[in-house]
Amino acid sequence: MSKKMLSIFLVALLMLGVLSGCGGNAGGPAPAPTQGSTEATQAPDAGQPKSGGVLKISLPASPKNLDPIKYTGTYESQIIRSVCDTLVEYKMDLSSIKPNLASDWQISEDGKEYTFTLRQDVYFHPGQYQDGRQLTAEDIKYSLERSAKESAMNRLDMLDYCEVLGEFEVKCVLKDANAVFLTALTDAGNAIVPREEVEGWGADFGTHLVGTGPFVLKEFKLDQETVTVRNDKYWAATPLLDGVTFMYINDHAQAANALKTGALNIATSLQGEAVQIVRDDANLVLNETPGLHIAYLYMNQVNGPTADKKVRDAISMAINREDLVAGVYPYGEAQIANVPLPPGSWGYDKGLESAAPAYDPEKAKALLAEAGYPDGLSLKLYISNTAFRIKMATIVQQYLKQNLNIDLEINPSEWGTFSEIASSGNADIYGMSWTWYPDPFFFLNKLFYSGEIGALGNGAGFKSAEVDKLLEDALLETDQAKRADMYKQALKIVMDQNPIFVYGNENVTDGATANVQGFQQRADNVIVLVSDEVNVWLS
Amino acid sequence: MADIDNEQVIQVLKTILKRLVQLVPILFVVITLTFVLTRMIPGNPAAILLGPQASPADIARMQEELGLNKPMLEQYVNYLTGISQGDFGKSISYNRPVLSLILERLPATLQITLTSMVLAVFIGVPIGVFSAVKQYSAFDYIFMILALVGVSMPIFWLGLMLVLVFSVKLGWFAVLGMGSLQNGFWDVVQHMVLPVVCLTTIPTATFARITRSSMLEVVNKESIKALRARGIRESLVIWKHALKNALPPLITVIGMQLASAFSGAILTETIFSWPGMGMLIYSAVFNRDYALIQGAVLFIAIIFVFVNLIVDLIYLVINPRVNYEGGGTP
Repeated sequence: MSKKMLSIFLVALLMLGVLSGCGGNAGGPAPAPTQGSTEATQAPDAGQPKSGGVLKISLPASPKNLDPIKYTGTYESQIIRSVCDTLVEYKMDLSSIKPNLASDWQISEDGKEYTFTLRQDVYFHPGQYQDGRQLTAEDIKYSLERSAKESAMNRLDMLDYCEVLGEFEVKCVLKDANAVFLTALTDAGNAIVPREEVEGWGADFGTHLVGTGPFVLKEFKLDQETVTVRNDKYWAATPLLDGVTFMYINDHAQAANALKTGALNIATSLQGEAVQIVRDDANLVLNETPGLHIAYLYMNQVNGPTADKKVRDAISMAINREDLVAGVYPYGEAQIANVPLPPGSWGYDKGLESAAPAYDPEKAKALLAEAGYPDGLSLKLYISNTAFRIKMATIVQQYLKQNLNIDLEINPSEWGTFSEIASSGNADIYGMSWTWYPDPFFFLNKLFYSGEIGALGNGAGFKSAEVDKLLEDALLETDQAKRADMYKQALKIVMDQNPIFVYGNENVTDGATANVQGFQQRADNVIVLVSDEVNVWLS
Repeated sequence: MADIDNEQVIQVLKTILKRLVQLVPILFVVITLTFVLTRMIPGNPAAILLGPQASPADIARMQEELGLNKPMLEQYVNYLTGISQGDFGKSISYNRPVLSLILERLPATLQITLTSMVLAVFIGVPIGVFSAVKQYSAFDYIFMILALVGVSMPIFWLGLMLVLVFSVKLGWFAVLGMGSLQNGFWDVVQHMVLPVVCLTTIPTATFARITRSSMLEVVNKESIKALRARGIRESLVIWKHALKNALPPLITVIGMQLASAFSGAILTETIFSWPGMGMLIYSAVFNRDYALIQGAVLFIAIIFVFVNLIVDLIYLVINPRVNYEGGGTP
């Protein structure tokens, strides 16, 4: 008897052990929105745009909460963007911010007050607690203050308060001048929602989202699909699609299979062999746009051998980027990169590319000897256990062994464990990627500002008073050209210190069936199906 | 079961009562250990929830919101108090009560796991019996090799191969998803076939092998030979008398498989986007959703205890000589 009880108990424990080991990466915290060029995918002879049909889109992780102030992953924000609108929005090519619910805005001299004029033809979807009433300035005040004050996601922390000036006019007052306020407003987390529905549904608002967007949320089936239908009263354009269904597909190969059978129209965020499957199929279209993304190795600035710049330079010179990218991304999923800012960002300066040390094994060896390690050394590399990272780590390990006699111990772990170690400042080197908005702030301030030490962005502990000053000043300046210049200066100083080895810039990769027309990819991986610029339809 | 007497009924009731009493300390230990172990897995739930871009201040605020900054003992006592009142806590990633999530997922999981269990019994057991009766025949060799292949088949590979052949090439069945009765019964079947085939493979092979070895032990026993000597039809000897005697090890295995059926099939459900317990647990572990992991493990522990109880009761019925008082096993 006691043996049986013990076995039951052990089985329960074993399950827990097995489960903790199977975290994997597939549903990993998806990066927040990000910029770049766009690519229209119009099949030839598609004919005239016509109305009708339901578009089925796959998401790589399961949406759990659609409340804008509570969403955590890009996959959730894709749905929010179809159901709700933001005050302002990026153009499809991400070159600048355009009017959306706000038709116009003024910024005060001191950069602290933004006064928005609203469109007067916008209506909420009818819901349980309101009948589809008109959007007013009160809704802007309510939604933005709710995001600024109630959200743990902190997507509008620069906002102090909003003041309603008229039925369609609202003033937003910031705590301090902050140049990224408008960019922050484009985040799905700051979408405009009606107070009646939020308060009426309470905690369930996350599964009963109501907004002003092109599609109305009809059914939210947790871990299965989210069904939306056309909003006939949409202000920007009448959607051509009858509706959009977002499906959760965890496995890339299965997403490609579903495209082949027509069970799916667009598979988002494809990776690995699935990319080739779609590329090889004449009935499918592969869409690729260089993303707002960098993949890198960040080296410890404070402790261990990599605190010495010579060691960092030696490591950087011992790895051949071309071969590394070709090995990690055999399906052409990325470009070679060497600046810690993606080329799609307006802060990018091609001239900085030469500032990164080039592949030079001989010089690398000499530098390492100068640093006091003529016979090599041992280092620990931390990565999350995704296929891309593991391949990268293996190739880097070979280069470092072969060129510098460095024994690189690879420590792959699932995301939670990885992020804890990487942000702790205890990793010799950690490998990951970063992706966000086109504004350089969202790369440089997160990766190199001293205030971010202890967070995953600056887990290596980079600290430079000059860089801090430039980053702080750039945040107060509203002129984009001046800001770009400050960010270039900051980048120059960072790259002189060589804290980070950037190697890749991944594409945004989606697969689509041939009947999907008018779909445009955005480099920030945001899916826009209907706006004043696009209106996707099925032929 | 006409020969059940009063003594046997008392024996059954005693066993049930004893098990229920034993359930309390078992659950207490399971609760405590899962509580401690989930917190020993590295990774901060608040950081995972907020994603890579979160600042330390954001993470601290989220931790406070989730109540994770309270002392461990306080969290534990709160959790125990909750459990004793039937409150399994609230999932942080789903933002909903754990128990309702589990109960909501259970039907989807049972739909495929129970179907595959029934299929596995009806296919595996006859194969095992035939193999035993025709030991060392071509049938025996072929099916035992197939069973070996079945037991060792990686589910992930099998699932994708099935999809490639039967969905993509032939277009017979759905690639993934659950289907809906609103689209007709056939839609549900179309979505169920491939995951069920995936889930049936291993148990079928296991049942076939267990049945075969257990039958082999039985068919050559004197008692069975005696039946034959009395001129009883061979099919009756095999399918009634021998199989009944060969049942106990099979029932144990079926019981264990049944219990794990409730916990879902993590790989199969993930490949086929089947919204059951397996996917729930996968996501709970991934998100370090403490309450959900604890709730799921506790739930599975309870299922295991009950299935074991039922297995023991079946033993009592099919073999009254088993005496649990003395700790004997059949």
